This record gives sequence, structure tokens and C-alpha cells, in this order.
Amino acid sequence: MSLADDTTEDHGDHGGHHLPAVEDWPRGFGEASWWPFITAVGAAGIYVAAALFVLGRAEDPLVGPMVGPAATVASIVLFLAGLYGWLYHAFVVNFWERGTDHHSAHTLRLAMICFLGSEVATFGAGFVYYFFIRAGAWPPENLPHLLGSLIVINTAILVLSSFTLHFGHVALRKGNRSRFLQWMAVTLTLGIVFIGGQVYEYYEFIVNEGFTLTEGAFGSAFYGLTGLHGLHVSLGAVLLGIVFVRALKGQYSAERHTSVSTASMYWHFVDVVWIFLVVVLYVGAEIGA
Amino acid sequence: MASGQLVLTVLMGVFLVGVAAFLSRVEDWRSYTPLASGGGGGYGEAGAHVHREKPAGITRWLTTVDHKDIGILYGTYGVIAFAVGGLMAFLIRLQLVAPTGAVVGNEFYNAILTSHGITMLFLFGTPIIAAFSNYFIPLLIGADDMAFPRINAIAFWLLPPGALLIWAGFFLPGMSGAQTAWTMYTPLSVEQTNVGVDLMLLGLHLTGVSATMGAINFIATIFTERDDDVTWANLDIFSWTILTQSALILFAFPLLGSAIVMLLLDRNLATTFYAVGEGGGPMLWQHLFWFFGHPEVYILVLPPMGLVSYILPRFSGRKLFGFKFVVYSTLAIGVLSFGVWAHHMFTTGIDPRLRASFMAVSLAIAIPSAVKTFNWITTMWNGKVRLTTPMLFCIGFISNFILGGVTGVFLASVPVDQVLHDTYYVVGHFHYIVMGAIGFAIFAGVYFWFPIFTGRMYQRTLGKWHFWLSMIGTNVTFFAMLFLGYLGMPRRYATYDFNSAIAPLDMVTLMHQAASAGAILLLIGQLIFVWNILQSWLEAPKLEDADPWDLKETDQHGREFQWHERRTATALADGGEEEEAVTDGGEVVDDDADDTSDD
Ligand code: HEM
Ligand SMILES: [Cu+2]
Repeated sequence: MSLADDTTEDHGDHGGHHLPAVEDWPRGFGEASWWPFITAVGAAGIYVAAALFVLGRAEDPLVGPMVGPAATVASIVLFLAGLYGWLYHAFVVNFWERGTDHHSAHTLRLAMICFLGSEVATFGAGFVYYFFIRAGAWPPENLPHLLGSLIVINTAILVLSSFTLHFGHVALRKGNRSRFLQWMAVTLTLGIVFIGGQVYEYYEFIVNEGFTLTEGAFGSAFYGLTGLHGLHVSLGAVLLGIVFVRALKGQYSAERHTSVSTASMYWHFVDVVWIFLVVVLYVGAEIGA
Repeated sequence: MASGQLVLTVLMGVFLVGVAAFLSRVEDWRSYTPLASGGGGGYGEAGAHVHREKPAGITRWLTTVDHKDIGILYGTYGVIAFAVGGLMAFLIRLQLVAPTGAVVGNEFYNAILTSHGITMLFLFGTPIIAAFSNYFIPLLIGADDMAFPRINAIAFWLLPPGALLIWAGFFLPGMSGAQTAWTMYTPLSVEQTNVGVDLMLLGLHLTGVSATMGAINFIATIFTERDDDVTWANLDIFSWTILTQSALILFAFPLLGSAIVMLLLDRNLATTFYAVGEGGGPMLWQHLFWFFGHPEVYILVLPPMGLVSYILPRFSGRKLFGFKFVVYSTLAIGVLSFGVWAHHMFTTGIDPRLRASFMAVSLAIAIPSAVKTFNWITTMWNGKVRLTTPMLFCIGFISNFILGGVTGVFLASVPVDQVLHDTYYVVGHFHYIVMGAIGFAIFAGVYFWFPIFTGRMYQRTLGKWHFWLSMIGTNVTFFAMLFLGYLGMPRRYATYDFNSAIAPLDMVTLMHQAASAGAILLLIGQLIFVWNILQSWLEAPKLEDADPWDLKETDQHGREFQWHERRTATALADGGEEEEAVTDGGEVVDDDADDTSDD
């Protein structure tokens, strides 16, 4: 269905006060929704699937080896379905009549800041491990060659993407929608290229240089941290992708850009973590070696 | 290349300062005060006019996003976890009445010991606090609901699967419960081949995600959803402690999450995060775990302190003494609690200079705790104290908290800790706080707000039995443990059949039996509690008085009871004739009311 039409005409009659998501499921109850439950079951299912995966690997396995992966896929589908239903009904479907609500924009931005604070701790533990081994005997036996043109280019790409995203956001706030769309497209492309670059680096290391996750202390640090970061970039790309699609469908304006700004906060954060990571993990590993 | 590293460090520092400076500009931090955010209340009001019926039956509970319903869900969950964890504790105490172990094998003992700790801290402690904060924070700050009602529901629904994963080791064939103790120290936890450990770690991670989501929600709610006339200056004390707690959760739980993931990877994918020798080694786990673990104990104790600070003045007929300082000390504890973690590692051979500085900060953290204690005592001083059940639990809280806190100060001193570390003294110390203080504050909250949850009153005689059995049971059990610690009894042992020529075996046995006797009192007390709550909820007469504690008299009618009054007024309009309810200490309704003031 076309979002733009849907939002401008059909729901106009709700007028002044309406519940956050009237059209939700179960219908007619502004205060009840199946989506949180479904999302939670999907998310918990991912953990259960991991458990099944571990069970499938045990010596005397309780479940077959494919049960875990299958459950993972099913759970992720359920999780995404829940998220979609929730976000679609709460934020997307009647985007325009929800009114310009500065208050909830504030709330969402604050929540994003809190989330990023928690991310500092998530990454922190990994970095602490790296500092632990870095402070010990150095260099380890099989330190791969880390600093090459690939990492320089990839870093430049990610930093650039933060700028293009910012330009896009500024363009939107100035009311220049087409410019906004262009910058968003550029940012998304840069992000995907970055992920491609990371995959290529992994490939080089694993296949050509034989440097793998189990390759000792530095391998754990390297794959742990770049892997965690890679997951974050991928999630960031998904978020930007959602923003981009919504923008293509005609949403957002100079006054209505909350999810653009929360998504870009996330993206900038991931970018900053990357810079820190390159300096301590790539440069820092080679510099004293 | 030392200079190269130096340059790099400086550059990185400049970069991070730049990021911080940028952050301070990108958000308009002051806009979060209610005055500046303009439409603060308007958002909530819009929904308030719309009628809001709920689906019937089980669907209602599965689909609810109402903070009060979610509070009840959290509460039910917490009470069930309390029962499970409590029965495990009872088994532990049963085992230890005899030096050779009375009922279970060593492995099973280890498993229930581990599971007891994990269950009580992660499945009972955090969720039961969330029960109160979900139900009352929006009412206390005049919000329509939480900032993100649906995230709130998701956070709750992650918990039941988390509990199942944590307990899975017990009931899945071919494995047993994890035997790592709640601290999950490596290398033990890496090398234990039992799949139950993996499942427990996964479950723990899941509950951590849930707690973090809840924390973000509470911070956002308290910052942005306050009613126009609720300012930082008159924000109630319970909301302050929840705000501080949420900030602690925000940094503590994700760190534990990453540490757990690294442990899982070590166990399953042959990484070397905690590998002895080349990896981070056991010390890495201890640092990460306690960097989470110490804040975790304050995550658990701050909101109960808030509950006591909220409830105690209402039965003392006086305002909380030194309100501002109670708030400041809460914030001080919040900050300091990230700087004391190595006091759990005094005997690991860390650098003596580190030890000394962690000792200093640990002693310092006792100061804000003492500030609170003195403020509670001063609040009661010369007050019109009414010894209702919630008030008794508040007073019990203070008494037990003093014992727990003072023993903590002893442990924080390096030379003392070197004698007492890993003995029952430590077990006694923290149980005085987790059972004697946190548990008691939770009970105080349940009794105090029982009329709001249910519209009825609990049975006060049973309430008093519950209090006295819990108070005596706690002190018998855990004082015996302190004494066991002095006798040198190591913690976590399934048996203690020492050579009586070198150890005071008779005395140790006697003290273990005393601790078990106390546990029986505790068990009976909790059975009475559950019976009282359930029976009163189902059968007690409806309370017609919306101010059962007579709080209006002393001008302490809080926002939550005002809301309750509005609700009762509308409910009574459609006729509610039932027998007169007996209140506990509010009005003296019948003549054998023993809750007269104390002077
Ligand atoms: C008054 C401030 C406090 C101080 C100075 C303090 C100090 C200490 C010290 C030094 C230890 C380590 C003992 C050892 O293992 O040798 C310890 C253990 C412990 N404390 Fe406290 N404590 C305080 C308050 C609290 C509070 C409020 C709680 C709970 C909410 C708490 C919970 C614990 C727990 C759970 C342990 C044992 C951890 C374990 O090894 O399993 N403490 N405390
Ligand atoms: Cu501690």
C-alpha cells in the first residue's frame, strides 16, 4: 500500500485526540497490542536458538545440529515481524497526523543517548580485554599485517559517510528534500561499501593469511571487536535503510525528522567507535611491535 | 616506539575530548527541564480523555502496555522467583545441618547454591524493584504512562524465557544446573563442560537486555514525562533512587553482557578471552565481573532505600529529615559505586597501591550510606511513630542495614578482609543487606501500597507475624553466619567435616544448625506472607477509605494516593456496599487496634 496516500487522506478524521495506534492489533484497544509480546518472543527465541545450537554441538546431542540454525531463522523472522508491526503502527502509518510533537522527539533522542551510553559499556568490556593483552608480552607470535591501504580507505569511507549523513540532515532541515534524499543514498552506499570492505578484510585474513578467530590472544581481540563493530554498522545500515525508504515514500520534513536524527546519532557513534578502534587495535597493535 | 605510543595516546585523548565537546552541543540538555519543554503535560493529557477498555482474559495480560498491569506482571514474576530461590536456600540450609551434608550430593548442592544466587539477584531482585517502579513512577511524577509503554512490555516478556534458560540445566536430560557460583569465576566456568552453564549464561544475557531496556525507559520517563508541577526540586525520593539505579544499570549490565558473551565464546568457539597465560586470564573476568557486580549491589539497594525514605516519614508524621542530603547521598553512591569494585579482589594479589586506593573509596562509600541511616533515624526522632506493618519493616530495614553496612566497612579494610574473605562472614554481610534490608523494604512497599494494588487491606495480625518471624529469622540466620566467618568456616562448601583437632567443629556445627533454625522461621514467615496477600486480595472487604493511612492529616498524601482517591471516587459511584474494612493503623476502626502512637 502506498504510505503517502494512506497517511494524508484516510485517517484524517481521527482529528484532535487519538490513541497512539488505533488501527493496531487487537483492533480497537488503544492500550493493548500484540506486537511487544511477539517481538519479545522473537528476541528470546534467538537466545533459545543459540541454546539449541550449543545443545546440538554437545557430545551426546539432545537435538539435531540443524535445529539451532533453523530456530535462529524462525526467531529472527518473528522478531522482525514484531518490530515491523510495532513501529509501523506506532510511527509510520499515521506519520503526518500525529502532529509535530517536540515532546516525544525529545524523549526519543534522550532514549537514543541512553542507549549509546550503554553501548559504551558493551564495547568497553572488549577493549578492556585488548588492553589487558596489549599491556602484557607484545607482540604476540602471529600478528597479521594490519595497516594497509584497505583499512585506510575503509576508514575514510566511514568517516565520509558521517559527513554525508550530516549534510543530508541539514538539507532536510532547510527543507531541501531532494538534496536530503541524494545525501541519504550516498551515505547508505558508503555504509554498504564499508561493510563490503570489512568482509573483504576478513576474507583476506581467514583464507589467505590463515589468521582466524581461534588464532590466539590477538585473534580473539581482533575478531571480537571488529565483529561487534561490524554488527553495529550493519544494524546502522538497516536503520538508515528504513529512514531512506520512509523518505522515498514522502515522509519527513523540516520539522518532522526525529528518526533521521536518532538514526544519525547512532551512525555517528558507530563512526567514533571505529576511529577509536582503528587507533588502538590496528595502529596500536603495530606501533610497539 | 614509546614516543609513538605517547603521541597516539595524546591524539586519542584530544579526539575523545572533541567528541565530548561535540556531544555537549548536539543536545540541548537543559531542554529536559519541564519548564523549557513546554508541552510536557499536554502529551499525556491527550490520551487521558479517551476511554480505554482492555481485552478480556489472558489476552489482556499478554497484550497489555499499561504500566500498572506490567507492574503487576513484574511483581508476580518476582514473587515466583522469590519462592523458587527461597526453596533452594532452604535446601542449602537443610544440607548444612550436619557436617557431612544431610540431604543432597555435592554436585547438586553446588548447582542449587549457584542457582539460588542467580535467581535471587537477577530474577527476584531486579524484577521486584521494577514492579514498584513500573506501577508507581508514572503515578508519582504525574505521567500518563511510561515514556515507551511498548518497550516496557517487551522488557517484561524477555524475563520468563530468561528464567527458563537459567533453570534449564535442572530439568533437561543429560545435564545439570551450572556449578559456577553466581560469580562465575574463570577458569572454572570456562572448563565446566556442562551445557547447563551455557544455557544459564544465555539466560543471564537475556535478563540483562531486559534490565537495560527498562533502565532507558525509566530515565526517559523521569526526564521527560513529569507533570508540569513536578520539578527536580520536588521530585519524590523514590523516583530519584530509580533514576540513579537506572543510570547504574545503563553502564553495568551491558558490560556484564559483553563479559558473558566472551565467556560463551571461550566455552564454545575456542577463543582466548579468559585463557590462562596468553589471554586475559582469570583476573580479566574478575575485573569485568566486579565492575558490574559492585554497582549491581547498589542497583539492588538504592530503590529499596528510596522505598524506605518514602514510607518511613509517612508513619513518623514528619517530613523526611534532610531530604536534599538523602538525594545527594543517593547520587554520591551512584558515582562512587563504580570506583570500589576491586574490594572483592583484595586477596588476588593485585598491586598493593591499587588495594589501598580501593580500600579508601570503599570506606568513603560508607559515608553517604551512613548519611541516609542517620536521616532515617532523625526522621523518627520525636515523630508520631505508628507501628504499622510497613513501618515495622522500615525499622527492621534500618536495623539490618546498619549491621550489613558495618560488616561491609570491616570487609573494606584490607587487613581484615584478608582474614575474612571467602568465609561465611561475607555471606552474613551481604545477606543482612539483600534479605534484611532489600527484602524488608520490598515487604514494606507491598504492605504500604496493598490498598492501591487491590483496593483492600491485608490482615494486620498476619502482617505482624510475618514481620517478627522475618526479623528474628534474619538475625538468627545471618548473625550465626557472621560468627561462622569468625570461626573460619569457608563459604560455598557442601560439607564441613573438618578434623576437629584443628577446627572447632562442634561450634561450627552448632552455628550452622542455628542458621538453619533461623531459616525455618524465615520460611514460616514467608508462607504467612503469601497466604496473607493471596487471601486478602481475594476475600478481604473492599476498602472504602481512599486514605487508609490517614496521610492527609500530616500533609503527606502523595500523588499515588491522590490518584487512588480519584479512582476510588469513580468506582464507588456505581455502588459498592460491603462490610467495613479494618485498616492497619490509619483510622482506629475497632478497639483492639494496637497501632497507637509511640512516644
Ligand atoms: C556500606 C557499604 C559497603 C561496603 C563498604 C561493602 C564492602 C564489601 C566488601 C569489602 C566485600 C568483599 C568481601 C570479600 O569477598 O572478602 C563485600 C562483599 C559483598 N557485598 Fe558489600 N559492602 C557494602 C554494602 C553492600 C551493599 C549495600 C550490598 C548489597 C546490596 C552489598 C553486597 C555485597 C555482596 C553481594 C558481596 C559478596 C559478593 C560475593 O563475593 O559473592 N554490600 N562488601
Ligand atoms: Cu562491593
